[in-house]
Amino acid sequence: MHMASSSLPDSVRRKVKAVTGVASVTPILYQSNYVVMGDERNLAYIIGLPEKAEIGGPWKVSSGLSLPGKGEAIIDLNVAEKSTVALGDEVEILGEEFEVVGFSEETSSLVNSVAFISIQDFEALRGSYGTFSFLLVKVDEVEIPTAVADRIQSQVRDVSVQTREAFASQERKVVKDMSTDVITIMNLIDFLIGLAVVALTVYTATLVRRAEYGMLKALGARNGHLYQTVLTQALLSVAFGFAIGLGITFILSAIVPRLGLNMVLEVSGASLIKVGSLSLVIAGIAAILPIRQITGLDPAMVFRDR
Amino acid sequence: MKTSTLEISHITKRYGSGATEVVAVQDVSLSVAPGEIVLIMGPSGSGKTTLLSMLGAMLKPTEGEIHLNGDIISAMIENRLPAIRLHEFGFIFQDFNLLSALTALENVAIVAELAGVKGSEARRKATNVLTELGLKERLNFLPEKLSGGEKQRVAIARALVNDPALILADEPTANLDSKIGREIMRLLRSIAKDQGRSVVIVSHDQRIKDIADRVLWLEDGEFKEMVTMATDPVCGMGIEREKAIKIEWEGQLLYFCAQGCRDEFASHPDQFLN
Repeated sequence: MHMASSSLPDSVRRKVKAVTGVASVTPILYQSNYVVMGDERNLAYIIGLPEKAEIGGPWKVSSGLSLPGKGEAIIDLNVAEKSTVALGDEVEILGEEFEVVGFSEETSSLVNSVAFISIQDFEALRGSYGTFSFLLVKVDEVEIPTAVADRIQSQVRDVSVQTREAFASQERKVVKDMSTDVITIMNLIDFLIGLAVVALTVYTATLVRRAEYGMLKALGARNGHLYQTVLTQALLSVAFGFAIGLGITFILSAIVPRLGLNMVLEVSGASLIKVGSLSLVIAGIAAILPIRQITGLDPAMVFRDR
Repeated sequence: MKTSTLEISHITKRYGSGATEVVAVQDVSLSVAPGEIVLIMGPSGSGKTTLLSMLGAMLKPTEGEIHLNGDIISAMIENRLPAIRLHEFGFIFQDFNLLSALTALENVAIVAELAGVKGSEARRKATNVLTELGLKERLNFLPEKLSGGEKQRVAIARALVNDPALILADEPTANLDSKIGREIMRLLRSIAKDQGRSVVIVSHDQRIKDIADRVLWLEDGEFKEMVTMATDPVCGMGIEREKAIKIEWEGQLLYFCAQGCRDEFASHPDQFLN
């Protein structure tokens, strides 16, 4: 659906409705646009819903109506709070004023949100009637969704049919693919910054104690012993940074939702393992330079460096 | 404690080559017996540090050999030298060179641990040595909280903890006042005479002559003059044997700093010989 363009005539709706196992068909219109609230413009998926739509509407409504009528809109609660919009206020969608009649939850992300208006308003604003963007199908309780999807695909020409799971999976993949490059670059920069900080810390700590390392070598410490010390120092540095970062993340994950930001911070076991592993890599790389420094230390410096 | 004999034979150390060649040590030979204190003196730039580094298995001579208990340590591969330094030598430095973040006890125990002694045993050994050196009340003090004399005693404890046969001391009294310096000298003498360890000291401090069995003068990388020291049995002063008043007493050669000491000895010999 993300960035997709689809146009289905009403005849398709009728054909789908006629397929065995289909309980109901809800047509919706869709377009990416803005919800404008005063000076604020918030990117949003605009969904046009039929009156008494069975599915396709907001799945969690915190206040107000769950379906928009003519001239009405349901917008995301976080977006509304950010722009201090209350029920009964007006917002601009697709160039037209709408009265806010409901607030939905779980309908915003870091970059956009979802807003619902009536399909009649959507058609009127678009100037096109009798075609839809998507058809949402509800199957009979006794039916298996994949079987019904296959049936529609085979009986109705020129349509792409997906189950809810397949659709959600594809959407996730599209969003992930679009954001992966940005996140990868951000992660790479974070990695390099972390590496630089830890490397500098360990290198400076080794440099400051250069004479002590030299003295230990003079007394008979093997290079391996000293390398262990440097590695331990690097590991402690990253463990300290990791613990602080984790603590800050937990604090932010508690604070951010209260600030009305369209962002969810989640600390998962997998992400902990991933960051922990990267931290170990950082510690290993950061220790290379100090280890080289120690390798080159002449134990006889203990007699000369004074 | 094991006894060891350090012997260096015609060692030379050259740095650079051709027109830029510098000979730091030239054809030096020396043998140090168990329980002997050898003091090496000489002006700055005479090659003392280079010689000490070679004696301590930290630097290889360009020519000549260094023998330790019959093994030629100057010919050993680099990998074997840390173990030799750890087990055979005890090092005492001018600036104490204690690890600033560790307590007195930890500074000593870490050297035992490097030698393979387990944690609690290393701490026990370190505690014993420090206690013997009068630092029982200072075990958990950081170096910054210790006086100069205490720091040097911790350094001596660190040198002794692995029970080495040879102690190499670089200017051990240089940063100490005269009273503490004498105390450290007495301690070094006790380490040699009571414990039978060989002690090689490099120093400018003339007072150390008093405890040395031999004083060697290093100049331009060569031993110029050898002075054998003896102790006057009456006043306890260290004296150069060649310049002392000598008498033979019951088959033993005795050395006196002055006629007065010799006369005093002659009148009551039993009082000074025990």
